[in-house]
Amino acid sequence: MIGIAGSQQLDLRRVGTGYAGGTRDTRASTRAGIETQRQDPADNQSVELRVRRQDAPDAAPYWQTFRLRVRPGDNVVSVLRALRLHPITADGEPVDPVAFEHNCMEEVCGACAMLIDGAPRPACSTLLADLGTVIRLEPLPKFPVVRDLMVDRARLFERLSRVKAWVRLDGPWDTHERAPRIAQRQWATDYLYSRCMSCGICLAACPQVDGQAQDNNGFIGPAALAQVRLLNAHPLGRYDKPERLHAIMAQGGLTDCGNAQNCVRVCPKKIPLTTAIGELGRQTTVQALQDLFGA
Amino acid sequence: MLNNEILSWRAATRPRTGAAAIAVRSPVLLTSYPLLDTPHCKPSGRTSKLPMPSINNPHFVLRRLHSLLGVVPVGAFLAFHLWENSQSRFGAQHFNEAVVGALAGLNYLPFIEIGLIALPLLFHAVYGLVIIGGGRAEPLRYPYLRNRLYWLQRLSGIGLLVFILVHVGMTRIAGLMDPAIHADLFGHMRAALSNPWVLGFYLLGLWLAVLHFANGLATAAISWGLTTSAAAQRRFGRVCAGFGLLLGAIGTHGLAGYLIAPTGAGA
Repeated sequence: MIGIAGSQQLDLRRVGTGYAGGTRDTRASTRAGIETQRQDPADNQSVELRVRRQDAPDAAPYWQTFRLRVRPGDNVVSVLRALRLHPITADGEPVDPVAFEHNCMEEVCGACAMLIDGAPRPACSTLLADLGTVIRLEPLPKFPVVRDLMVDRARLFERLSRVKAWVRLDGPWDTHERAPRIAQRQWATDYLYSRCMSCGICLAACPQVDGQAQDNNGFIGPAALAQVRLLNAHPLGRYDKPERLHAIMAQGGLTDCGNAQNCVRVCPKKIPLTTAIGELGRQTTVQALQDLFGA
Repeated sequence: MLNNEILSWRAATRPRTGAAAIAVRSPVLLTSYPLLDTPHCKPSGRTSKLPMPSINNPHFVLRRLHSLLGVVPVGAFLAFHLWENSQSRFGAQHFNEAVVGALAGLNYLPFIEIGLIALPLLFHAVYGLVIIGGGRAEPLRYPYLRNRLYWLQRLSGIGLLVFILVHVGMTRIAGLMDPAIHADLFGHMRAALSNPWVLGFYLLGLWLAVLHFANGLATAAISWGLTTSAAAQRRFGRVCAGFGLLLGAIGTHGLAGYLIAPTGAGA
């Protein structure tokens, strides 16, 4: 949205095909335009960004305040991108640009998750219109900070591999069978879990997930559990159901859930995580009985 | 010529799709499940090939045992205990004979008291402290009902540990030390509860116990897979809340009974 328009598009906008809202200044499409427009402290449509910064993974965090003008339709990522062009604190001190991650800008990649006013949310789908004039930005908790608002989400993927969150599409067998058929009703419920974008927001809100724990012992969290639920129901994934259940019946597995149910409240994709946990509770109960008495 | 025949035979017997052909060459897919060899599945000192990781895994068994013992026998005993003590309003004679006397005359009483009540309660309490150590509640950052109950469950657990130690010391242990207390437990309780501080302590302990049991029942239903959908969990949560209020009312009635009941033998 910002700074991507070439000169041709700029001309088009000047003749009136630009912004539907009509309030947007065409200067905003150029870098110089953003700089002059965004750094106007006298404007009453400005916000104060309080960013928790950290220069290195093991460095001490500190806070910095920035003041920027906002435009209609701005979200936290677009404001951070604008700040990156002109990283000057509210006191007028030029600083290193704030490091943060973003990618899709439509809440499907999960890269921009961070604490916004204390709540874990995807920055791209958090509109400034819904926030106050002072916005507090912190890195997503429970993950190691790389720099500023950028965290290392590798442990999320380590946890997915721990519970075997995949299907084996092919192997040393004949593949003559037709495509598997799924009832429409099951497809509809399974689809809810397939929307997970591995943003880590559910882990950030979970009181049982320990940010300091060694990965092999800590609670794997709701995201990986929901994928176990999804893939256990998958026509190909169900063959590995006992292995997945055994993986979550160990330390850090399903039994470490404390039923605080924050995960389902904060999930930006509205995934029924606690339903997955309940269903896995039933599956592990049955699995334990099968292990004890024979399947 | 011979080579060509062999090649064509191999082509005919090869898996037909490209994907399957690639899979045959992949050594990873031909091995046994790599998941079972990862450290988290393997209790220390055991072999790497566990036929039944679930029931051999002490972590899973301990967590489920903690959950089960909280309901039966500990929770069941709480309900029974509150029901029995609600008979306090019938007066000293009835309480000392029909309640305390009848229970004291039970066969295998030491086994019931130690094996069915004290040891399960002790395990539930000690392992509960271990579980509390592994979590960090944020009731203010996430002010949702379930999250607040998560926090209260842990808080009440610690409170109950203190309450139960004092309560058992004041009644059962004191009764063992002094036969006069055991003979007139009603009078002993009436005298103790006449102190408003003791009454407040007992009311707090009672409602903490009822909260802990009712909420534990609702979360155990999720953990064991009795309730899965959000609607079912909400529904059963309300049932547990109603059950808790009923138990709390019975218990409060029992505490009040010590103070309002007639003391005379002929009452």
